[in-house]
Amino acid sequence: MYTFEKYKKFISSAVVASVVLMSTSCNGSNDVEQKATAEPAKAEAKPAETVAAPVAPAAGEKGIDGGAVYQTVNGMYTSYAVNEQEKKDFTFGRAPTATEIAAWDIDVMPDGTGLPEGEGSVEEGDELYEEKCAMCHGDFGSGGKGSRSTYPTLSVGEASIDSLTHQRTTPDADGPKRVIGTYWPYASTLFWYIQSGMPFPHPKSLSDNETYALVAYLLSINEIEIDGESLDDEYVLNREKFLKIKMPNQNGFIPNIDGPTGPADAKAFYADPNNYGNGTRCMSNCLNGEKPNIVRPMNIIDDFEPPMSTERMLPAENTEEAGPVHPGKKLYEASCAVCHATDAMGAPNLGNKEAWAKVLDKGIDKVYANGISGVNAMPPKGGTTVSDDEFKAAVDYMIESSK
Amino acid sequence: MNKMTETSQVLDTASEKMSVEQSSRRDFFKKAAVYSASAVAATSVLAPVKLRAEDDPAIVEEAPWGVKLGDPVSKNKYGVPSPYEHNNIRRTTALLASGDEYASISMCPIHEQEGIITPNGLFFNRVHGGVAHVDPKGYRLMIHGLLEKPLVLTLNELKRYPSVTRIHFIECPANGGPEWRGPQFNSVQFAKGMMSQAEWTGVLIKDLIADLGLKPDARWMLAEGCDNSEMGRTVPVEKVLDDAMLVWAQNGEALRPEQGYPVRLLVPGWEGNLNVKWVKRLEFASEPFYAKEETAKYTVLTPSGKAIQHFYAVEVNSIITSPCPEKPWTDLKKGDLVEIQGLAWSGQGTITNVDITFDGGDNWVEASLKGLVLPKAWTRFSYMYRYEGKPLLLASRAVDDSGHVQPTIDQETAVVGVEAVYHRNSICTWEVTDKGVVNNVHIRKV
Repeated sequence: MYTFEKYKKFISSAVVASVVLMSTSCNGSNDVEQKATAEPAKAEAKPAETVAAPVAPAAGEKGIDGGAVYQTVNGMYTSYAVNEQEKKDFTFGRAPTATEIAAWDIDVMPDGTGLPEGEGSVEEGDELYEEKCAMCHGDFGSGGKGSRSTYPTLSVGEASIDSLTHQRTTPDADGPKRVIGTYWPYASTLFWYIQSGMPFPHPKSLSDNETYALVAYLLSINEIEIDGESLDDEYVLNREKFLKIKMPNQNGFIPNIDGPTGPADAKAFYADPNNYGNGTRCMSNCLNGEKPNIVRPMNIIDDFEPPMSTERMLPAENTEEAGPVHPGKKLYEASCAVCHATDAMGAPNLGNKEAWAKVLDKGIDKVYANGISGVNAMPPKGGTTVSDDEFKAAVDYMIESSK
Repeated sequence: MNKMTETSQVLDTASEKMSVEQSSRRDFFKKAAVYSASAVAATSVLAPVKLRAEDDPAIVEEAPWGVKLGDPVSKNKYGVPSPYEHNNIRRTTALLASGDEYASISMCPIHEQEGIITPNGLFFNRVHGGVAHVDPKGYRLMIHGLLEKPLVLTLNELKRYPSVTRIHFIECPANGGPEWRGPQFNSVQFAKGMMSQAEWTGVLIKDLIADLGLKPDARWMLAEGCDNSEMGRTVPVEKVLDDAMLVWAQNGEALRPEQGYPVRLLVPGWEGNLNVKWVKRLEFASEPFYAKEETAKYTVLTPSGKAIQHFYAVEVNSIITSPCPEKPWTDLKKGDLVEIQGLAWSGQGTITNVDITFDGGDNWVEASLKGLVLPKAWTRFSYMYRYEGKPLLLASRAVDDSGHVQPTIDQETAVVGVEAVYHRNSICTWEVTDKGVVNNVHIRKV
């Protein structure tokens, strides 16, 4: 059982800390040291000897989110009527096989659970990055450029976790840098995410060794050291070394969620709205004689697609000639556009006459063959499983749209 | 009797009743003749045609839809909105178009929202690897980890479990996030449109796992999608045993692909991102998983440099949707009685009160709630206002039954600063000009 005394102690410390946070912010102090004391949960997260299994909150108790919890009373759950007959002994479904679980259970946890054996060097990772990642994330993880500016930045040269206290309260202030090396608490997330979700258009295509190599490269450009060793080109990351990684911002998160008291610690944190902001229900003379300070937009964003309108009229006639749809257009939009719609590195974009003319210098047969077997960053058939003819139609569509 | 004669006779009768009017009978017939000749198809043969300037042709003339057959019932096998409603749509902006719109968001037109249920085609759409199109025959759900009996279900098997139907909003915690440092959008669709509400049908996960022997040290549940992004999130078991659901229906029909067809997780009141779409796997564990979307993203960086993680519920919030920048009061006259309306919601409970200010937060009056008042659901509020044609700073403030009050901008930023990105729930103010134009402004000192 999580003892009540510990719980009470935790709550009181959370309240004190939040008051500190409130007061420093209100009087405009820039005393970072003082603000940094507002980290109640981690400090108090000592595993209790025994902790009860989680249950749904009882009547009158707040939930783990600090919110109200509702019970079914006399057949009613708030405004909803409920069938209260017993619901158990269901017979549907079956147990998964070990192979099935292994196929889907590829998550990697901070303690290394789920991390496969394998290895990869920074240099191999660099090559893979150039080939498969740089077109979106920029050179050295510097972020998307131009039409790809919304693709995430993965590293910022000199940035450290110290930047996380930066607040852009003036127009020219430098903001916090939230990249892998300055923000992510665990490298396990990096391995798991890259292998399950990247490269963006072709996830789940990287081997364990390739993933190790990419992780090694990303850690190296974020200037992460492992066991005191910096990651130069020859550095080979494997499972053993991976488990020694300590990310700089591991302790940068509140509340504590780890260990047997994790859920209780989170619950105590959210029970106090002063930890995340709460209002007061003042009804009159709330500004104490001051005039409200009105801030208007400095730069209005109104590039809405489609443009804003509340008119109720028939849509404008489609004046475009409704010619036959090119047989390759659908495949292009579904599978090729993600790289070929914009100025991606090495991928000639739709409508770029010059780029496509250069590609076609090789002859159309070579263009088809390269696309089918893969070339540079382009995976075979763009990562699709379509027939050769369907694939060629998409190539034809891009070429014809780029004349 | 030809049509023209018949019309004239009817007009003749009508003219008798106009003796108090100034118009002479001769003028009347002259006008009627011209009118009838030029617009015979639109002129009623049954009702009198009035010809005075103050008469509304929308009433006096026959509308084309009233004098010919409409569509047969067989025309639309799945009904579509009137073509006149083509501007009531989701919209996007390049600012929020990450991943070339494959890891992006489209905004719900909440300025056109009526009642509390968002039509399925207008529900906001946030995806991390494009909208997956899952074949229901190839769909499997796996439940494993710290359970005595792991389970695999087909879609049909899942739908054999007892269902419940509940109305809940889903709100992206980044709703309003582009405006931490100041207003940017003169639009409620973009300022607050990362949310929608539906009536969801599915199974409570506590019923689904009741027989599976959840182990005592199972404190967390990973939910993961089967789409390109496999977007996973960690949910505390306490929520799983409370009101979390796996849902397969939205407003009476199957989920839309954009909402995770065939099955999504629903964690009522919590960050939209936790409501994992296309969910394929639930894994129970003793420690949290630290997925990318709960570390690199969806964490609230505070001025101390520490970031709030596992920030589950979206907090008490409200927005006035009528008037709003898209639906201003420019058509009102001084003295008109007009209804101010909006939406209030809280992921931490049920809305109990909404207050309205006309002077930028100095003085407040209580508005009425109207319609259904449900937990973790959009609740409509209403206030009748006599329009005076003078400038206003109009705002709403909501209170919920867990004791939380929607903060002012300064109250919120005092705690979490301006770099939080997520969980912005401070009061939204509309500046109403003397012409009835509505602008998005902030009332703030910092």
